[in-house]
Order: sequence, then structure tokens, then C-alpha cells
Amino acid sequence: MKSKNLGNRNWIFTISHLMVGMIFFFSCQKQVQQESLSPETVLEEETADGIFPYLRLSTYGFFEGDIKNLKPVADLIFYQPASSLFTDNAFKSRFVYIPEGEKAQLEGDDLSLPLGSVLVKNFFYPADFRNPQGDRRIIETRLMIREENGWQAYPYVWNESQSDAVLKVIGGEFEISYVDLQGKQQLVSYLVPNKNQCKGCHNKNEIMAPIGFQTKHLNHSLDFVQSPSNQLEFLTETGKLEGFKGASKHPGMVNYEDESQALAQRAMAYLDINCAHCHSAEGPASTSGLFLTYDQKDPMKLGINKTPVAAGSGAGGFKFDIVPGKPDESILVHRMNSTQAGIAMPELGRTTVDKKGLELIKAWISNME
Amino acid sequence: MRNYLKSLVGITAVLLFFSCGSSTTEQSFDSSKLTRVSQDEVDKLIEAFIMAEDSSTIDIPAGFYEMKTQLILDNKSGIKIKGAGMDQTVISFRNLKTGGEGIKLVGNDISIEDLSIEDAPGDGIKAQHADGVTFRKINVTWTNGDKSKNGTYAIYPVQCKNVLIDECIASHSKDAGIYVGQSENIVVKNSLAFGNVAGIEIENCDNAEVFGNTARDNAGGILVFNLPGLPKSDGKGTKIYDNDVIDNNHENFATPLGDGPNGNTVTMIPPGSGIVLLAAKEVEVFGNRILRNKTTGIAIASYQITGFPAEAPNWSPYTTDIYVHDNHYERNWYQFPDFSRELGKLVLVYNAYGFGKSQDIIYDGIWDKKPGTTIDMNPMRVCIQEPEIENLRFTRFVLTEGEENIDSFREYQPFQNCKVEVKTEVSRLAAL
Repeated sequence: MKSKNLGNRNWIFTISHLMVGMIFFFSCQKQVQQESLSPETVLEEETADGIFPYLRLSTYGFFEGDIKNLKPVADLIFYQPASSLFTDNAFKSRFVYIPEGEKAQLEGDDLSLPLGSVLVKNFFYPADFRNPQGDRRIIETRLMIREENGWQAYPYVWNESQSDAVLKVIGGEFEISYVDLQGKQQLVSYLVPNKNQCKGCHNKNEIMAPIGFQTKHLNHSLDFVQSPSNQLEFLTETGKLEGFKGASKHPGMVNYEDESQALAQRAMAYLDINCAHCHSAEGPASTSGLFLTYDQKDPMKLGINKTPVAAGSGAGGFKFDIVPGKPDESILVHRMNSTQAGIAMPELGRTTVDKKGLELIKAWISNME
Repeated sequence: MRNYLKSLVGITAVLLFFSCGSSTTEQSFDSSKLTRVSQDEVDKLIEAFIMAEDSSTIDIPAGFYEMKTQLILDNKSGIKIKGAGMDQTVISFRNLKTGGEGIKLVGNDISIEDLSIEDAPGDGIKAQHADGVTFRKINVTWTNGDKSKNGTYAIYPVQCKNVLIDECIASHSKDAGIYVGQSENIVVKNSLAFGNVAGIEIENCDNAEVFGNTARDNAGGILVFNLPGLPKSDGKGTKIYDNDVIDNNHENFATPLGDGPNGNTVTMIPPGSGIVLLAAKEVEVFGNRILRNKTTGIAIASYQITGFPAEAPNWSPYTTDIYVHDNHYERNWYQFPDFSRELGKLVLVYNAYGFGKSQDIIYDGIWDKKPGTTIDMNPMRVCIQEPEIENLRFTRFVLTEGEENIDSFREYQPFQNCKVEVKTEVSRLAAL
């Protein structure tokens, strides 16, 4: 009896050792191999033959001088949506190229770009957020090109020396470090989407569509050197847009970061730019019945006392998407506050929590009756 | 000593009977023995999905593929995705950091076959806005120990037309293994669903047939639901026949152990549910073998029973036009209904046969009260014609008189003399 007991103990001892070993083993396994920025592979010279996509970003000739300064050539027009989609605090600069002699068209409120147009979006991190104009690292440049068969998305990943970016349809994962506004060192696993993941968001009835370059996001004034300051008016005056009837005749959203605006408007602007590309009747998340466009009025579609459908872990311990007055019992808040795949919303484009956005949405739900 | 052992066995047995439910981590095969393919081959696979041209085949050779990004097929037609066999080609999404599902298919006439998908953080494989999508001989599973951390759906076509799921295996998902949502023209056949919270679920769908499947060791075996507030509001026309619906007594792990249900309806399913119809319309259930499901073989319920808001446009919370006939039932004498979920407790305590009696068919008896009608007029057209009905346990509850006045009745006669015709047409799909 005694020896048997001892035997058991030994056995337990061995098992516990094995388990500790396994934990170490698995934790080691979990160390994700981080790629550094694209290796400096020597690419063949490429000529701008007009057959897209080019393998190198430089071939398009969008930027003059040293490419890493991202100084646009004359026919690249800067634009900026009123509110911005959160992508792990990355800075962005956006440009639109509209072929010479062509114009964007506004039909009603639908904005469309002519064949050959290109939307250019750069993602970068300043080395120190307290000095945004200082050193920076450009991670990727995403192009959306209006081709014969509709929009196509192409992700270009920048090399270490920031001398060019190369097309990488399969995306990738990169470790980025920066000093945040509080002076703290931050480390982000930045994920460049693969080409088809782009459509996870850029999707209107399964057709690839721009998100930021829409009337509701552009119908506002930029607060710097541009005259006239309303972007759509500016495009009209420079002969690049037809059909604009004046700012008041088209929808426009506020900047959710602008605290002088009404809370509800800021919250709806936030939800629209961050969620509505999927959560609308035309988007991939139409399956959920949760529609988060800025003009949504139906409480159930907005998620108020609405049960989830296919949320799985996303529901946490909660019953409804939004419980008025109770942000901490609202699934919407739970999912914004998670970084775990399967729970985190939006599903793509972030590996960290958007704390400012979260606070805004919590305040909005707290104020609901 | 003998006596001691005997009583120990006795106590253990009693504990087992009363425990919240069984749990299984059974795997169909051991994928860890497969050779891991190189990063190069993984990259090639991602590229194959991205660059796929219409009417082509994506061959995925044998091996274990460790993915860090999703595989997405974007609006393509006539694509065949083919592995070397479900125990040969295994695609693991264990390291996926963002993305709602492992594989996503969009387009027309797409088929995927002969491979396995493991450990996707959200859903295993999702097809959306696809007209003509076939899942054949694919195995979708999770290999984690803690099942409450598993993904939501294993095989997940939604907003599709002409869906065929054939000879597939779906296991360990924390919602439904095979889930078809907001779709039309559907066949689920000869497949196996085990160890999930729900085995097979048809939700807000039109024209579906589910036959020749085995749903075992789930919390609920086969579910037909209509949920409110969805773009496809109310589905109708489902036939469930010739299935083995066995031992669906798995604990409900849709929420972590000890946590109650959340807003996902499936979290309310009591372990021990064979077939559950919730706000379902035009469903025929026949020729199934419904064995050893400890709470009830078949549950017919209205959406009000969830306690959630039950109003939505173009949608009714009632279950109507149901035809249940010629099924074979077996109960285990030593099994008790579940008491981890409210609906289990309802059966446990208030069934018409006495405390703790498992049921073959239960009906919540909630009906759309129109003036002059009574439940004895069978206003929701729930038709039950089982050859041995007098030997079965049938309970009809009375739940509408408040919690203090819950009542139940054994009388099946009001639901016997009737006829409900359920129409489906899927012969083209079934022959594929």
C-alpha cells in the first residue's frame, strides 16, 4: 500500500514536471517570429508601362525627390476624411490621383472616380509621437486602383532603408516600436493585410469600394492651406469634380475627436468610419442585423437591446449589443475593448485597443436613456 | 473494503448522473504527426487563394499548414479547392491574430474538399454571398483543452444559395458545428457533428433538407431557429430525416463554466436536447433515431421562451406548421434532464411525468392567442404522429400564466389528428 502511494506520488511528480516543461515549450512556441521590414532584395528596374500593378511603389512616380519624404507630385491631391479609422495609432496620409482631363462624379451623394484613378494611403509611425514631424518609419502604402473591372487593392511594404516599397499581396507582420505621447515606449505587432483581406472592409455588396473617399467623409473643411477649404468644393474648383451642389446639400460627418461637437454626433461618426463599412446593409456584417451608419435611426439596428446572432465569444457575458446607460454591459464595448481574434472588433486593422474611441462610445452609451 | 468500493462507485455514479453534463475532446485523428510545411509553401497557398482565376483548381498538398493570415477567395467562380484528404492536409489558424474566420469563400460554384481546418479563433470556414457552394469531406475542429475558448462555427455558410454539405465532420465549436444561416436551398447530409454546443443548425433559412447525418455528444443535436432582426427575417421549409441524434448530453460550453447564458440563443440550450425547433416554420421531422438525449428528444418552442424581446418586422416568434412522425426514440432510465439551464430545469421539475423524468417530445404550448381559440384547437398546427405515442413521454407546458402557475399536460391527442405538408425541393443539390 505504502509503495503504491509513493509510486503515485512519483507519477504525479513526473506529470507536474512534464506539464511545467510543456508550458515552457508552448510559451516558447508562442514567440512569434517577427519579420523585419522587407529584405532589401534587389528588384529589377521596372518601367512605368501602364500595366498595373507595378512591383515597386516608386515606379508609379507619385512622390518627388526622396521617396521617403512622401512629397506628392503636382497631380496628386491630398484628402482627409473628417474622422479616421483606428489602425493601431498609425499615422496616415492620403492622396487621390485623377487622370488628366478626367473628373470625379457626384450623382446625388454617390461619389465615383474615373477609370485610372488611384487612391494612395501611407501608414507610418513617428519615432516619437511628441514630435510627429521628426523621424518616422513608413510601414506600408496601400493603393486602390480603379481598373476596367472595378477597384483593386494593392499593399506595398516599405523596406528598412525606406528607399522603396514592394508589392506584397500576401501581407505580413512587422514589429514597430515608438514613443507615445506620454513618453512611453510602445511595441506594436503591425499586421499588413493580405490583398483579399482588404475586401473584408472595402466591400459594398461584394464589390470592392473605397471607404474614406465618400461624400459623407469628405464634405468638410480642412483646417490648413487650401482654398476653398471644403474638400469637395476644392476638387470642384480645381476641375476634378462634377456634381457638387454645395456643402449644405450633401451629407457630412463631424470629426469624432472634435470635443466641441455633440456627443451623439461624435459617436455616430466614430461608428460610421470604424464599423459601418462592414456593419451596413451592403457590408459583409449585414448578417448580424447590426447597422452602424451615421444616419441609423432604428434602435434595434443600432444594437439597442438587440441580441447578438453569431457573436460567439464576442458576446462575453452579455445579452445585448447596447444596454442604454450601461456601457459595461454592452457587447459593443466588450468587443472594442478586446484584442483577441474572435472577440475584437473591428476584426481587421488593429492589434491594440483604441482607448480614446472606447471612452467616446462608453460616454455615449452612458448618456442613453 | 468491498462495501466501501461499492459505495464509492455508487456515489461516483450518482455524481455523474447529476453532473452538469459530459465533455469530450475526442479528435478524429492526430494532426500533430503531419509534417509541417515550409513558410514558402504557406505563402504559396495564400497567394493561390488571392490569385485564383475563374474555373481553376487550388490543390493543397498533404502537410500541416500554420497560417498567420486568412485564406480568402474573393468573388470567384468555378473554383475547386482540394486537399489530399482530411487527415493529410491540415490548415491550422492557431496563430491567427486578426480576422473573423480562417477561410472565407465568396463567389459562385465553389467547392472545398478533402482537408481539415483547425483552431480558427472565430469561425472555421465561412462562405458568404455564394451561389453554389459545396463542402465535401472536410473536417473542422478545435484542439484546445479549454473548450470555452474555441471558435464559434465550424462550417458556416451564410447568405448563400444552393449549399451542399456532404460527408463533413464538425467538432468542438462553441456554437454550432454545421451552421447554415440566412440561406436558401440547402442540403446537409452524411455528415458528423460531435462535441459542439449545437451539432447542426439551420437558422433563418428556406428550403433545407438535413438527412443521413449523425449528431452525437453535442449539448443540442439538430436545431432549426428563426431569430429576429436579421436581413433574412423568417425562414421556412426544413425536412430533418434519417439522422442519428444520439447522446447529445455534452455540457453547454458556449459560455465559460459557471457563467450563465448571454445574448447568444445557443447559450440557453440545455444539455440533453436532441432536436430543437425555435420560432421555426414548416418543419418535418421523421424517420430519425433519437436516442439517449437526457432532457428531451424533440423540443418545440416559441421565441418568447428565451425571455428576449420577441418583436421584429416580418418575423413571428411562434413555431408553426410542424410535422413530427415515425421517429424512433430511446431514453436511458438513469438519466435526468439537465439542470444547468433554465429550460432544462423546466423539464426537470415541471414535466408531466414527475420530477427528473427525461422526455421524448416537449411543446412549450405558447401560441398566438386569437379570440376564440384554445390550445386544444392546435392553433399553431403542431402535428405529432408517432406510432407508439402512448409509450412516449410527451409534455405540453402551460407557461403563459406566470412563473407561479407553470403547469403541464400529457395529452397528445389535440396534436395528433392533423396534417401538415412541408414542401422542400433540393433534388438537384442532393444529386451533386
